[in-house]
Amino acid sequence: MTDLDIERLVAFCRSLREHGLSVTPGEVVTAAAAAALQIIDTKDRAEVFLSLRNILTTSVDDFPVFENLFAAYWDQRPARIVEHQKQPTAPARATGGLAFFLEHWPAEIRSKAQPVNVPGASDTEARAEKDFAAFSDEELEEISRIARRMARRLAKSRSRRWRPVARGRRVNLRRSLRLSLKTGGELIELSYRERRPKRTKLFVICDVSGSMDIYSRLLLQFIYGLQNSFAKVESFVFATSLARITGELKGKTYQRALDRLSVNVRGWSGGTRIGASIASFNQQWLRRIDRRTVVIVLSDGWDTGEPEQLAAALSQLQQRAGRVIWLNPLLGGTGYQPLTRGMQAALPYINVFAPVHDLNSFRALEPHLEL
Amino acid sequence: MREEVRQIQRTLEEQTYIADAAIATALYLSMTLGKPLLIEGPAGVGKTEIAKALSSALGTKLIRLQCYEGLDATTALYEWNYPKQLLHLKLEESSPTPEAEKEATIFSEAFLLKRPLLQAITEHENSPVLLIDEIDRSDEEFEAFLLEVLSDFQVTIPEIGTIKATHRPHVVLTSNRSRDLSDALRRRCLYHWIDYPSLEKELEIVRAKVPGIGDMLSQRLTQIMQATRTMSLSKIPGVAETLDWANALVALKATELNEEIIAETIGCFLKDENDIASFKGTRINAD
Repeated sequence: MTDLDIERLVAFCRSLREHGLSVTPGEVVTAAAAAALQIIDTKDRAEVFLSLRNILTTSVDDFPVFENLFAAYWDQRPARIVEHQKQPTAPARATGGLAFFLEHWPAEIRSKAQPVNVPGASDTEARAEKDFAAFSDEELEEISRIARRMARRLAKSRSRRWRPVARGRRVNLRRSLRLSLKTGGELIELSYRERRPKRTKLFVICDVSGSMDIYSRLLLQFIYGLQNSFAKVESFVFATSLARITGELKGKTYQRALDRLSVNVRGWSGGTRIGASIASFNQQWLRRIDRRTVVIVLSDGWDTGEPEQLAAALSQLQQRAGRVIWLNPLLGGTGYQPLTRGMQAALPYINVFAPVHDLNSFRALEPHLEL
Repeated sequence: MREEVRQIQRTLEEQTYIADAAIATALYLSMTLGKPLLIEGPAGVGKTEIAKALSSALGTKLIRLQCYEGLDATTALYEWNYPKQLLHLKLEESSPTPEAEKEATIFSEAFLLKRPLLQAITEHENSPVLLIDEIDRSDEEFEAFLLEVLSDFQVTIPEIGTIKATHRPHVVLTSNRSRDLSDALRRRCLYHWIDYPSLEKELEIVRAKVPGIGDMLSQRLTQIMQATRTMSLSKIPGVAETLDWANALVALKATELNEEIIAETIGCFLKDENDIASFKGTRINAD
């Protein structure tokens, strides 16, 4: 293309679209009109390049694809384009039994708190710092209490926007004045306004693979506590595939919720595919994620999948979410370094990386949940 | 490069804004096509400066709307002047004016407080430059509202009616990419990305903006800034910081950069304790 005619331009736009850029008809028309009206000198390579980039891209992330394709079109060189990354399809759900940890969860076992040697377990005496693995029923109850308190705080926090109310402490002058016109400009009835409640949503995605077994029940307890005192929580679990458990967790008692979980959720097994699970979460749920959403991932970062996939999925998630929090039970241990490939890939796309291995670490979470 | 673009470049340079072909082309297109220009880039690379330079180059008013979370129509568009309305009603209390007329009076333009967006639309002499700064800081509601205003530059005030812009403002939006803007807003705008400047460009900027600085000093300072940006810092200094530092050095009458003077003025371009520590730990080789 040493000259820009409309046909070539349309073909160029189509090829941009094929390579993942979202070029709308409106943008094509703008570009075509600019060329036709001689706003762009269609013989000047640099000018056409800069102008079309202004018009047809909407983010700096589009630039590499645009530059390559433009070179291909203008200089008629074969394009050096890496195939646009396709959304990874969710892996087929593994069949074959319930999760190991669910099977090992009858009430008798739960009451006999057995200390297990865990990587990262701290051996200090203090109760609050005692590791998850050795938690008793009362302590489980305390986790629920912490979760409920957090949920209440979240529900009460206020946004910076106002809404009119019948009774309040701040006068809504605009409405009051309107009302006063009924009485000939005499302010008799006052209208009030208050801060609107913040509409923070919470998405919790919990790893229940083999390596997380000893933590899973406590984390689920935590999620259960949140779920039942805060309306805007969605919960998910994953090992090799993702399952939504919001419905299962709603209920009067934790035990009953667990029973329902073991009946309804299948395909939990030893392996972990964090990247694929988050990618399939994105596919279904990304449109519900916005700036008022806090996404919590609970996982130790042992991933058998490709770290690139995890990085891509998390970065997509982080772009949309208000905050991405990764809670890693291993982080509480002294000397633990997040060196697993999965964890390394994930770190750049996490806003808060925190341990979650004892009661104090749960309490420390609170400030991070408020946006 | 076409003459118009070169003209823009020259005019901006007169305002001591060093514009490359890319930004000049973007501004040219934005003005000719009448589309808002969305400028993204890291903090402190002169996104806001573009709008300022543009308005003084065009000799028009700069109307600035600084975005923040919770920004709403009453602070961005218009608000009624309640104290004035109340006062007026009190004064007119005993007058025989019929009620409907009283109402019409207090909801007329004289009682209207024009906020930036309305100001930009009702500017009668010529097209002002409307700078919507850090749009990524506002929330989704405001973005949707802004789309409405930007699509046809008219505003409907229930009590007065529809006000349409006589002179379409030149709109510049800036964003630090702290969150994703909606696709709808991106589509409505032309897009431009500003990165940290190259050594040559930054040197040019320093010499244009801080005339008192010597050749040697500006060269050395710019080299250090360029090297600093390659370090892994929590807050990478922008051009604004370079200029702050250059101004500080000129004020201190420094003629060369040595460890002592850098230590004294390091706060000009590094604003984080850890960054300062890691800067001091690294020997910057700028030769």
